Amino acid sequence: MTRLILERVTFRYPATEAPALEDVSLEVKGGEVVALVGSVGAGASTLLLVAGDLAPRVVGGRLEGRVSFDGDGPRAIVLPTPWTQLSGMAFTVWDEVAFGPANLGLPRDEISRQVDQAVVRLDLEALTSRDPTTLSGGELQRVIVAGILAMRPALLLLDEPTAELDPVGARTLWKLVRTLAGEGTAIVVATSELDALPAITDRVVWLERGRVAATGPAALLASDALVVANMGTTVAAVWRAAGLPAPYPLTVAHAAQRWERR
Amino acid sequence: MTAALRLDGVSFSYGVVQVLADVSLVLAPGERVALLGRNGAGKSTLVRLVTGLARPAAGTVWVGDWDTRDHSPDVLARRVGSVFQHADQQLFARTLEDDVAFGPRALGFERSDVAGRVARALDALELGAQAREHPYDLPPALRKLAALAGALALEPALLVLDEPTAGLDRALRARVTRALLERAGRAGAGGGGAALLVITHDLTFAAELLDRALVLDRGRLACDESLAGLLGAAARLETLGLLRPPVAELSTALDLPGRPIRAADAARVLARVAGGRADP
Repeated sequence: MTRLILERVTFRYPATEAPALEDVSLEVKGGEVVALVGSVGAGASTLLLVAGDLAPRVVGGRLEGRVSFDGDGPRAIVLPTPWTQLSGMAFTVWDEVAFGPANLGLPRDEISRQVDQAVVRLDLEALTSRDPTTLSGGELQRVIVAGILAMRPALLLLDEPTAELDPVGARTLWKLVRTLAGEGTAIVVATSELDALPAITDRVVWLERGRVAATGPAALLASDALVVANMGTTVAAVWRAAGLPAPYPLTVAHAAQRWERR
Repeated sequence: MTAALRLDGVSFSYGVVQVLADVSLVLAPGERVALLGRNGAGKSTLVRLVTGLARPAAGTVWVGDWDTRDHSPDVLARRVGSVFQHADQQLFARTLEDDVAFGPRALGFERSDVAGRVARALDALELGAQAREHPYDLPPALRKLAALAGALALEPALLVLDEPTAGLDRALRARVTRALLERAGRAGAGGGGAALLVITHDLTFAAELLDRALVLDRGRLACDESLAGLLGAAARLETLGLLRPPVAELSTALDLPGRPIRAADAARVLARVAGGRADP
């Protein structure tokens, strides 16, 4: 059973005194989608690096507390800068997507199967023979996600995965997140696309200055505290700005129900 | 009046892949225009043509009364300020203010003029407190704002911005919106403010800042109309790879008069319609 546990984790980047994460505890199981929300610099990206075993192992720094991970697959991260994640070793999109599973030493037909599935899931069929360096920002972001999925990660860490995607592409990716969770993948996603979260997340973790300020179901995004902090859904924010009383509706559908009953 | 930007029948290809086909459009001074469309529709290529980094294979790109073919990108920078999708690659100086000063200095403005431009740009984006910091000590989101400040400091007649809100939280997006509204000169487009051409997938941000929508679809200009009109047409939006953002969706679901697309307008109308009911 896949399980990521962070126990009272404090993390400092090299040559800094102020912790980027402070006393953070979090548990994520296979099949769960956990969303990290917070203002810029609140620690969401750092938390993903710690969960992905990149901090301190690759980026340096000091970690206190305990991080443990169990799972029957690797943990993999999609960075907010997809162009830095290209292998540079592939002349076609198909080979780029195959780079990860090939490095895991999977058998050739298994690689093919995983790559083909990932290509379909990210809607990349028309691009498989293109040179990755000629792709647009959003196409590249989908290629990177496909390459990660082809490795069949047990824990998938996503940092602003829709930043470069067009709205329909973003919706496809969010649906895919839910599908992967249904297949047992544990998913932690940091995003500023708060309006996408009610449909996909089991839990919301609100980070403020490196600490967990609140945690709860998606409905947390309609709470007064988050709406005031500019971390609520757009619908909740409009409701509050209109001077209408709490509890605020979380989504357009909730607002419409509320409106009918008035 | 001379247009801030005019494209006459512009086409462009990367090798055999045609990216833009016969695109014509005009931006008046002070106009605030969204450039929308699917990934790979040709939006970023259009920005490369406007900034002179690429030359049209056919047709002409006019920036004011300059044909981009007659001027190098550094000369065009007198009239076009731009921020690319991956703005990190645009920063290099030791302090933020030095970085923002690079453009106006390179264009040969007087020292006192440069100082004023830098101060106004940093002020508009509320970056004054970070002026002496090294750009790479700033979090990525503020580096994005730093690159935008560099473009604002040119005080150009045309600002071309590629995904200016990617990676920004809502408070920073609001900051960018305020700064750009101020530069465009809020009321009365055509009143000498900068024309804005903004590529974005963030239609919530677009609705707050922009009022005209250009949509590229496989290299062709598929639509040129008011943003409010486009956001009202859900089915057509989707065929263009776009989705109605939450405020427009809420306005429709609740049948709010005037179908507002900006959050503040929707809140005002909602308050009025709900008028005094305890729990609407």
